Amino acid sequence: MAIRQSIHRRIYNLGASAIGTVTVVRDLWLLFIGAIAGVLRTMRRNDPSRRPGEIWRQMHSMGNRSLVFLVVTLGFIGMVMVYQSCLQLARVTGDYSQVGPQFIRLAVSDFAPTLTSLMLATRVGAGIAAEVGSMKVTEQVDALRMCGVAPIDFLISPRLVASFITTITMSILACGIMYGAGGLTAHYSFGVNLNIFFDPSNVRNSHVILGLIKAASFGIAIPIVSGYCGLAAHGSSEGVGRATTAAVIGSSFAVIALDFVISTLALLVMPGGV
Amino acid sequence: MSAPFIEFRGVQQGFGGKPVLRDLSLDVQRGEVFFIIGTSGVGKSVTIKHLIGLLRVDAGEIWFDGQRVDGYTEQQFEGIRRRVGMVFQNSTLFDSLTLADNVALPLRKHAGLNTRQAHAEALDLLRRVDMHDYALRYPAELSDGMRKRAAIARTLAGKPEVMLFDEPTTGLDPISARRIDALIRELADSMGVTALVVSHDLPSIFGIADRVAFLYQGRVYSIGAPAALKTNGDAIVKQFLNGESAGPMETPGF
Repeated sequence: MAIRQSIHRRIYNLGASAIGTVTVVRDLWLLFIGAIAGVLRTMRRNDPSRRPGEIWRQMHSMGNRSLVFLVVTLGFIGMVMVYQSCLQLARVTGDYSQVGPQFIRLAVSDFAPTLTSLMLATRVGAGIAAEVGSMKVTEQVDALRMCGVAPIDFLISPRLVASFITTITMSILACGIMYGAGGLTAHYSFGVNLNIFFDPSNVRNSHVILGLIKAASFGIAIPIVSGYCGLAAHGSSEGVGRATTAAVIGSSFAVIALDFVISTLALLVMPGGV
Repeated sequence: MSAPFIEFRGVQQGFGGKPVLRDLSLDVQRGEVFFIIGTSGVGKSVTIKHLIGLLRVDAGEIWFDGQRVDGYTEQQFEGIRRRVGMVFQNSTLFDSLTLADNVALPLRKHAGLNTRQAHAEALDLLRRVDMHDYALRYPAELSDGMRKRAAIARTLAGKPEVMLFDEPTTGLDPISARRIDALIRELADSMGVTALVVSHDLPSIFGIADRVAFLYQGRVYSIGAPAALKTNGDAIVKQFLNGESAGPMETPGF
């Protein structure tokens, strides 16, 4: 009897988890559609649902204020990656000629958008969830509805546009930083000729397109996941804390999962090009 | 007596399996200042939020101006929210906007005014609550009483027929509290606004209420004029009004 009850409980819990996951994915999708609709609805100049200059303000907050953090982090990552590659090559062949060309190919198609977005997921995702979550628990979201303003239009849509533009811009910048830092490391630590390192001939259009698609997708996923966590906050400051943690974990996971999905699709669509 | 303007019939609501409203029924007449009182957690705020669709009933009916509204969609509730304004417990002004922008938002959205017109109108509304000198300040720079007054101005922007006040005087000094009371009474007397006030501030109740509903255990335990409440001999009502810690009243959590 006890065994049967235990099995029933396990099946019930499994089913509840599955339904919960499907519900979250459905709600994220609805929030994404709602936010896109909100962008279109509030495109009109001086639309009351959009605070004047809000997209610029959000871009400044997401981009400019993350600049030092991103430059330092990705610069170091570029240095470490190139240093380790050269170190391993020194033990095997000692030929560093392909380090730069291969590194820039990987940076453009994968490292730059993914690592940039993971960094932004922690800083920007936490910020969005904390701000939206605070507004939710202090009933400001309800007050928006009472003013006739859809909370998604006011809170999520401007952040979606800002994050979309900022993530792409920052990924391009990060690619340059990683490449530059890596090239200087290879030159000063292993004597690699800079002309040989900074040879982008391996980078094809497909790599650039893939990198941009990834950056754009991550730029959409971060505010959607974080905004969802913020809007789901309840209780008091503890609820905002939980929402912030969930936003960082959820956004980071979304970046990794999307990277996997997009890379797999790219391999299937253009096997020789990636 | 005419048909009720607002009516709650057998409303039930629970959270996480715990019932809050068990069988709540009350009616409010047009133009009256109606107070809902009771201990913390009894479901006063929950009750008024049903009228504007911020919460949905588990069972029961809610009627507003002859229309049953409890089954309305979010879109249908937008029409109700143009007629019913709410001043939230913590004012809930938007932190990122100045007072003028806070008040201008519903003016631009509901009344369709352009930015300049909305700001001129917002200043007028802030003047009505003596807050026009602070129009360009942010909510965080102001005291609780000032924020409450600005929140009332923002709610007035929609020219509502009904105003819901969620503990409008809680946390205010006695002078600010009485000013808020006077403002609520004036809105009802001069503009015919129906005020539904959630409170446990006794000077407010006995100062400005036309009728009072005392909630206990998820139901209306007593309803009537404030004077009748004062002379009510019921032990539970007396314990609440006298603020006695010991007595027959069950207060979960204590």
